[in-house]
Amino acid sequence: MKVTWVLPGGEEVVADVQTGVNLMEAAQANNIAGIQGECGGSLSCATCHVQVDGDWLSKTGEKGDFEEAMLDMADGEVTDASRLSCQIEASDDLDGIRLIVPV
Amino acid sequence: MTVWTPQDDGFADLSSHDTFVNGAPHNTFARLRREDPLSWTDWDGGEGFWNVVRHADITELNRNYELMSSARGIRMEDQTYEEYLARRTFQETDPPEHMKTRVKVGKAFSRPVVAGFEDQIRELCHPILDAALEAGTFDATKMIARQLPMMMLGRIIGTPVEDLPWLVEKGDALIANTDPDFTDHVLDKMETDEYRMMPFNSPAGAELFDYAKRLIEEKNRKGDTDGVLHMILQPDKDGNVMPEQEFRNFFCLLVAAGNDTTRYSIAAGIQAMAHQQELLGQMQEGGDIWATAPDEIIRWATPALYFRRTATRDHEMHGKLIKEGDKVLYWWSSANRDEQVFDDPNRVDLFRSPNRHMSFGQGGPHVCLGMHLARLEVRVLFEELAKRVKMVEPAGDHKFLRSNFVGGIKELPVTMQAK
Repeated sequence: MKVTWVLPGGEEVVADVQTGVNLMEAAQANNIAGIQGECGGSLSCATCHVQVDGDWLSKTGEKGDFEEAMLDMADGEVTDASRLSCQIEASDDLDGIRLIVPV
Repeated sequence: MTVWTPQDDGFADLSSHDTFVNGAPHNTFARLRREDPLSWTDWDGGEGFWNVVRHADITELNRNYELMSSARGIRMEDQTYEEYLARRTFQETDPPEHMKTRVKVGKAFSRPVVAGFEDQIRELCHPILDAALEAGTFDATKMIARQLPMMMLGRIIGTPVEDLPWLVEKGDALIANTDPDFTDHVLDKMETDEYRMMPFNSPAGAELFDYAKRLIEEKNRKGDTDGVLHMILQPDKDGNVMPEQEFRNFFCLLVAAGNDTTRYSIAAGIQAMAHQQELLGQMQEGGDIWATAPDEIIRWATPALYFRRTATRDHEMHGKLIKEGDKVLYWWSSANRDEQVFDDPNRVDLFRSPNRHMSFGQGGPHVCLGMHLARLEVRVLFEELAKRVKMVEPAGDHKFLRSNFVGGIKELPVTMQAK
């Protein structure tokens, strides 16, 4: 599946991601600046915050309570479209998903 | 003793605090990474333990908190269940319990909140550097590295400046409880176990508990809402307030762990400047370097040498069997010098990027709560230092802590020449 990250300057990075990999790890593998993922996806750091573009949001599933709480500590503007990308797993349903890396 | 390059013979005893008075035994770690990546250490002070030394192996285990639990202790010392209950902080819990505390205290240390401290940190640096540069030749751990984190601790918890030296002394007695320079109750030399129910087996824990209680009572009486303690004690959205025992344990952790780690990062950075003369010039050129330099200084320092986990079931690795209940040490200090991850790991490269160091325990649920503050303090201190000096050089032997848990230069004589 393909993932597009829209960087704060507007530049886009597109990468193939294996299904089953979480999108924070995919960002790390592609050296996406602004996505650190320092807790390895265990919901302890909020450094993998993204905004999910447009209609893709509804396909990423529901936020958990801890994710909601951790988003309160994230960098950048937190909106209804905000997710911690470690909590989104690559799947065929998400092929083409666009993630906005907040300023 | 001045140790810039490691002097150990490659077979150092990792259970011995005395090993570390010459700095971390990096020749031993390098040999283990190469030849014996999962080694066993017998220890005469308790049960032996496994050593995990490769970056990739720690990365794999660290995320697997169901296999490798923090809830039976995080240092090599054994503890009973009752000791664990009395002494534990959220460092000694696993998800999802860990998360419950994390979400309560995390906001106060989040990057957006911490970023607001930058101007204060810069202001605090000025008198610290004034005093040091006036001295010319001085102990940089005492006059610089110890000062900034202590002053920031005061700002963060909203405590009077005159209380700070006492607080830091107690924090040191807790965390450096194996070094006779920092405590009269040296952990592996105590004859009684009368303090075993207290944090870090130390009477200083009880004194800090009492201080925290008085501080909060005083603040409540005055209606003082300054500092992160107030933020942490606010009810959550369901109206729950952190219980007193949990708060006081957290306070101890804040004073102990949140203070000396940044101190030893700053000390290691100054040590590096004194030995790698090109670093000062690079800092003075400025620009992009400040995006990467703090993490490299913190990699070089690795103030938390290891954290321990306990296996919750049998697990095979590198052809050996870790048994349920075995203690497993993640040696961050070794991972941070792993040749497979870092080019020229024994040199400080302030432009190193990416820098996947593990000084904050990255890659697992216990990643350092204070990491954003630590990076900010390190960046601002070295920015200000680089503006003010034209020369930094060693002025005698530097000395390391006697501890296999906290890696730090406790005495760092240097000469600095102001511009």
